[in-house]
Amino acid sequence: MKTLLPQNCKHIRTLSIVGMCKNAGKTTVLNRLLAESRGRVLGLTSIGRDGESVDVVTGTEKPGIYVPDGTLIATAKDMLALSDITQEIVFTTGIPTPLGEVVLVRAKSAGNVQLAGPSITSQLKTVSDLFFSLGAEQTIIDGALGRKSLGARAVAEGVILCTGASYDMRMEKVVADTAQIFRVMNLKKAETVPEESDKPLHEILKLSREALVPGALTDAAVVPLLKSGALKNARLVVKDPSKVLLSPDTLDKLALRSVSLETVEAAKVLCVTVNPVSAYGWKFDPDAFLNTMAAAVDVPVINVKEEPL
Amino acid sequence: MITIGFEDREKIGLRYVLDTLHPCSPFGTERVRKLRFYAPDERNELETELRNTERAANAADALKPVYDQIMLVLCQLKDIRGSLKRLSEGACLDHVELFELKGFLLRISDLRPLFDRMNETVRIEGLSFSDPAAALDVLDPERTRSRGFYIPDSASEALRAIRAEKKRLEQRLYEAAESEKDAIRSMRTRVCAEEETEERAIRAAMCAALLPHVPAMLADADAAGQLDFLIQKALFAVRYGCVRPEITETALELTDMVNPELVDLLKAKGRAFVPVSIATDRGATVITGANMGGKSVAMKTVALNVLLFSAGFLVCAKRARLPLFRCVRMLFDDAQSMQSGLSGFGSEIVRFNEALREVEEGYSLFLLDEFARGTNPDEGAVIVQAVTRYLNGANAISILATHYDGVAEFAGTHYQIIGLRDIDPDEIKTGLSVSGEDGVAIIARHMNYGLYRVEGKADCPKDALHICRMLSLKPEILERIERAY
Repeated sequence: MKTLLPQNCKHIRTLSIVGMCKNAGKTTVLNRLLAESRGRVLGLTSIGRDGESVDVVTGTEKPGIYVPDGTLIATAKDMLALSDITQEIVFTTGIPTPLGEVVLVRAKSAGNVQLAGPSITSQLKTVSDLFFSLGAEQTIIDGALGRKSLGARAVAEGVILCTGASYDMRMEKVVADTAQIFRVMNLKKAETVPEESDKPLHEILKLSREALVPGALTDAAVVPLLKSGALKNARLVVKDPSKVLLSPDTLDKLALRSVSLETVEAAKVLCVTVNPVSAYGWKFDPDAFLNTMAAAVDVPVINVKEEPL
Repeated sequence: MITIGFEDREKIGLRYVLDTLHPCSPFGTERVRKLRFYAPDERNELETELRNTERAANAADALKPVYDQIMLVLCQLKDIRGSLKRLSEGACLDHVELFELKGFLLRISDLRPLFDRMNETVRIEGLSFSDPAAALDVLDPERTRSRGFYIPDSASEALRAIRAEKKRLEQRLYEAAESEKDAIRSMRTRVCAEEETEERAIRAAMCAALLPHVPAMLADADAAGQLDFLIQKALFAVRYGCVRPEITETALELTDMVNPELVDLLKAKGRAFVPVSIATDRGATVITGANMGGKSVAMKTVALNVLLFSAGFLVCAKRARLPLFRCVRMLFDDAQSMQSGLSGFGSEIVRFNEALREVEEGYSLFLLDEFARGTNPDEGAVIVQAVTRYLNGANAISILATHYDGVAEFAGTHYQIIGLRDIDPDEIKTGLSVSGEDGVAIIARHMNYGLYRVEGKADCPKDALHICRMLSLKPEILERIERAY
């Protein structure tokens, strides 16, 4: 099989696949990854429920998740009846979901699985640790959509960001918004974390050139600081990328004033995948989409529909 | 039957005691949560349980590593009773339920040798685990004894053939050209359906084979809970230096008893709980003494220890002789029924009637703290005197704490708080003037919360007068008080 995904996606210990929208090609990427990893033991779970054969939102048919023999899967008990792998139940985690307790099962044959994993970061971490203790070489988390996935950093070290025509009819908007999420996700990891303080930002910055932002970082907070010059050459640290609620314009300005925006919890985006076909009927020109996207980010961009899987 | 409400549990420190226990298994947790008190006709069972607890407590130090290992195994037990119930009703259990049953049986096999080691020393009566090997063989026919649950290919010839076909199709699917894949996929779907049907039949057969083992598994779950609870009770007894009570017909004797909640609370403040002793029998016992003197504490400590005993715990005392009670009722002054619309006094009478009805159903313990304090002293004294006289003839041990005069003579037994009896007021007064310390704190420190038994007619304790002297009340007033005494 021709390898499509960059090698680093396969070497990172915990990998999260996140989509900009439904039908961005997340499951296609996941299946590709699983197929290319045949022979290695992978641990597979999701943030909450995913993997339905028909997309409940758009009604379009979705590819199922097909795992190779030996894969470890963490999913809700009720989902096991919908899977067609030969199962070995390995562990019951006690983590509750609306679809039953999260159960760890080893696939004793290849087959289709339905994922409904834990929805809390700490539980995902527990599951991921369990995978490794059971001999997994890599954990793959089928992530959430868009901004929500920004919170899942505590677990995943690497991220594959999936985007596609389904996000918006205007290709420029798809590219711009994806690039924005990409930038926020790829914030530099803070080497040192400034002390927490309940003083207002501008006062902290007056004393030292760095500050830990306790909550969300918004335009309303940042723009006045930019205007007053208080931020020049400063270092701003957020807890995790989901806390950054800045417009692309403000992000540009921060970069321009050489303000370093960093995060405590950081994962790397390893590659961006594009799906030029929308579930709603329109298509982008595959090459144009790929090239525009590639120009907006500094990691490999892959067209998931490039070759039949 | 003894039932104790949430508020009373909290007040007498029973909840505190239960919170210090850390049962490991769901079965042990349930025993603590639904604490069961032994009834008078279960004397033999209680006797056994107390002996077991005493032996387990005595061995707790020497067997610590074994106890730790047992607790570790108990922690891994899951509550499988729901699945067993479904099994008995003829349901076909799914993979996960069978996994849990297998896990349970594996834990029981882990537990058995540990329990045997404990038993060499402790000799627990009436507790045993059955050999789970036969039940395990049903769920693990290949005897791998692995932790996972998997229906092996060898479970049936049909399954072996189906799985081989499934594997073959998967390999083909992997190698085939895209155009052929759909055809292979639909073949595979058919094989998967066959596999599911065959596995279901095998699971049903497993369930049928497990059915005869259900009673033993339920008994083992119960035994695990008993063992879990026993170890927790033993560790509690070691923590607070508890003793096994001798069971009597009617007499109640507690020598140097303590209340763990107050022991720990006072210890945190650098002070110590003064052990309390009491000995009484059928009839009314009155405890008198100055306010702040610890009458309530003494009563609550009696209630706590009696309840611990009734639940099969060793009691927090140096020596104990206790009877089995049909019911334990307490009326504490600080509970007011707001909803009843009655005054504090009115609701007290309503609650008293209610409690008395239960108390009179069999040999009981009845505790009344400052009964009728909500009314005027003259009437209150008359009421408490009448109640005491009545209870002295009732088939119960009734203990009344009161500061009303003339009550004790109607009781069979009279205890008084030692209070400031043995303190020389002048010494404290001098000490006070020298150190300039807070007088109230010094008095509290010198207050003896112990009880002493009053024989014959007692003098009224003059603690209030003592306190006035020690705190140097204006001499002109003090003189007048002394004259009036």
